[in-house]
Amino acid sequence: MMQLKALMVKEFKEAFRDRRALMVAMSMALLMPVMIMVMLKVAIKEAVDNPAVYVKYTGEQHAPKLIKALKDENILSFADVPEDEERNWNERNIELTIPESFAIDMADGKPIELTLRADFNEKSLSSPIRRIKEVVRDHSLLIGYKRLLVRGIDTKLLQPIKLLEQDTSLPSSNAVMISLILGVYLMMAAFMSGLPVAIDSSAGERERNVLEMLLCQPVSTLKIVLAKLSCASAISIISIILMLFLTSVAMNFVDLTKIGATFSIDANTFVILLLLLVPICFLAASLQLLFAFQAKSFKEAQSTVTMLIMAPSFIPFALMLMDDKPAWVEWVPISGQSLLMEDVFKGLPIDWSALLFTSVATIALTVGLVLILAKRLTSEKVVMSLS
Amino acid sequence: MNLKNVLSTSLLIAVIGLSPNSFAEDISEQKLTLASCHVKGIRQQVQCGTLAVPENYTKPDGVKIDINIVVLPAIDSSKENLPFMFLAGGPGQAATELAGQIYRGFNEIRKTRDLILIDQRGTGKSHPLQCEDSLELDPYTSIPENISVSDVEQCLSLFTSDLSQYNSENSIRDFDAVRAALGHKQVHIYGGSYGTRAGLVYMRMFPESLKSVVLDSVGPIEVPIGLFGQSADQSFTKLLENCQNEQSCSTQYPDLTKEFATIKQRLSKAPVTVEIDHPRLGTHTSFTISTIKFLSTIQMQLYSMETRTLVPLLIHQAYLGNYKPLAGLIAQGEGGMGIYVGLLYNIVCNEDYPKISTEMKAQDADNNFAKGMSLDMIGLVCSTWPKYQPSADFYQTVKADIPTLIMSGELDPVTPASNGDKSHAHLPNSHHIISKNNAHIVASTPCGINIVNEFLEKQTPKELDESCLAEIPDESFMVGLNGGAATLDTANTMPTEAKE
Repeated sequence: MMQLKALMVKEFKEAFRDRRALMVAMSMALLMPVMIMVMLKVAIKEAVDNPAVYVKYTGEQHAPKLIKALKDENILSFADVPEDEERNWNERNIELTIPESFAIDMADGKPIELTLRADFNEKSLSSPIRRIKEVVRDHSLLIGYKRLLVRGIDTKLLQPIKLLEQDTSLPSSNAVMISLILGVYLMMAAFMSGLPVAIDSSAGERERNVLEMLLCQPVSTLKIVLAKLSCASAISIISIILMLFLTSVAMNFVDLTKIGATFSIDANTFVILLLLLVPICFLAASLQLLFAFQAKSFKEAQSTVTMLIMAPSFIPFALMLMDDKPAWVEWVPISGQSLLMEDVFKGLPIDWSALLFTSVATIALTVGLVLILAKRLTSEKVVMSLS
Repeated sequence: MNLKNVLSTSLLIAVIGLSPNSFAEDISEQKLTLASCHVKGIRQQVQCGTLAVPENYTKPDGVKIDINIVVLPAIDSSKENLPFMFLAGGPGQAATELAGQIYRGFNEIRKTRDLILIDQRGTGKSHPLQCEDSLELDPYTSIPENISVSDVEQCLSLFTSDLSQYNSENSIRDFDAVRAALGHKQVHIYGGSYGTRAGLVYMRMFPESLKSVVLDSVGPIEVPIGLFGQSADQSFTKLLENCQNEQSCSTQYPDLTKEFATIKQRLSKAPVTVEIDHPRLGTHTSFTISTIKFLSTIQMQLYSMETRTLVPLLIHQAYLGNYKPLAGLIAQGEGGMGIYVGLLYNIVCNEDYPKISTEMKAQDADNNFAKGMSLDMIGLVCSTWPKYQPSADFYQTVKADIPTLIMSGELDPVTPASNGDKSHAHLPNSHHIISKNNAHIVASTPCGINIVNEFLEKQTPKELDESCLAEIPDESFMVGLNGGAATLDTANTMPTEAKE
């Protein structure tokens, strides 16, 4: 025990010695809430607000009512574009051409052809184009309905079948994307903040020849590994706590209700998220140590370990694409947590048995990794990176 | 047109009764559990429940009736804000049947507040009083003039409950019991049309339960429901004026006033019968147009800005002998407007009609639009409807000191802005907003909703941003059978099917 304690003191001292390096490790926790806040604000703005769209009309004088209907949806004439946005909208170049015969064809009941010309592949235009199409379609439908009505036809005839939809999801669970982003971002934090410490205390120590010295001491390699693991995971846990706290503050500045989502980190959610993430921190640290020791140099360790970060970001997306999820994804490390976190953000009740299972599985995997690592450190090949 | 429609078209506004808060307390502690459910018109899950209340509050152990409740949960589940209770119009509209419309219309408010919808006793699933389909008449061949006392009696024979308990005051006792059972100390209420009468009664009976009140298109206690002659005339006259002020409409229909008078005169001699294709079935049918059928259909269109656009065309075509637009509009109303006619007349015949003096009647009928049409219809039904005596307090002026936002539309055919003024004069903490280009129900526009939302947040009725009302454009009209701004030459070649 004494030995382990001494080893841990050594690891923590080393990790905390370089304050600046530590600050960089923690910076993720500080910056991410700000980033997520900005991201959400932008996403919400895109999703709900109806930002002004400027269209280059030709022949707008022929269809004043249509132009007014467009204006009601904040689709305006390019002639009115404010100066600072003029260049943008000139480039986007949405053109709507209204034929001169609009009024006459309307009165004659002949089909009227408008032309909407734009780059339909341009991402920033997809929402404006959709909005313009909707307004024109609705306006056209309304005229059609009225035409039939004044000819003495029941307009309900146009809707022979009406599909009533009943959505069984909870009212607040509409914002899939948001919960996915939040989940990925917490998982990333668990993986990333301990990373510099893990690399430094393994590959770094080897390059500084500290590792050799350490292994020469009469302590078991298991203790050495445990000390390093505790240190790296402690730092990620600290940064997770810091981040959860800052995120709960940052969330107050985002009006999620606009997109039909509710999310606040209260004490309860805080504890559940922490319960989910702590095992991940251990797993991440052990994986990182394993890979770092595996590498031949500090540089190589940096690149391989960084690739590990792919896991937490890739797995949730893969899960989202899976329509029929096999049962095992619910307790496999990372995917299990990711699914549970999604529930938390949707405000669904927590499946405690799943939480227990996935936590146990994660910790078991961590223990396995630690044992492998301890075993490997007894080999000279690994220590001297000979292989 | 079935009896339901005929009866409700002539009326369609709301009234309510009131009385003191002596009862209701004993059930107020009752807990209410809501379950997830789906209601028509809303894809998402909402909360439903029922609360058993005594039919007669003076006999709490007597017959119970179930009051149907739907709660549209706020998007923000923090429950920080007090809920918003919706009082439906009519009288006789079931709030929960309007859930879909309210869900979308009040979306801005629903973001942070639960919306509570309660079927007033006698409507929806709260012991409905409805004249059943046995009375369904063909809306094309039959005419409202032929409705007789025996039709009303047939409807009445369906009701077995104690009708005197289905009054406005008891409805409010139900509402307040629901409020308490849901565990809310206070709520905000919104009343539209008759819902404002209900709201005023609520303010008098349980002022301490109300945080704030929105009265949209007011039917104050001082103005009996049914006196629509003057207001409908005023709304119609403004429509004619607005048509003359708009270039395309005045070019197309220069003589609308004269044409309207001609049709009225024509129909007053005898109803006109034409052959048409049945609007829904496509089969051949005869279509009889009488004065009341014609005028009540027009009056119905005066309620909303959207349907008002059709009125000049309707009149002009009818003048030319083409009654198809009229048939199309009647088809639109087929299937009822969701008015529980039994409750409508139970309230109007007892709480309002007796208050209308011969003098008031004569004065109301002194107009150029429909004369005393609405009141005549009500009078016919009320002559045979069972009587009850509203409590003495019912006719008391309401003076509650609760933040109150009053809204009126200048083009409203049934609840003119003068009604709002009456309530405004008595309510110390109120403000009256009159929207120029609005008909019945100001909160039917995004602008109106935003004002209500701002009021709920700030609770200062006098300091709201009303600027968006000025941006609502003047009304415009459909000027040809194909819509759009028809040019002059095409207009004159419009086919007419005079078949008198």
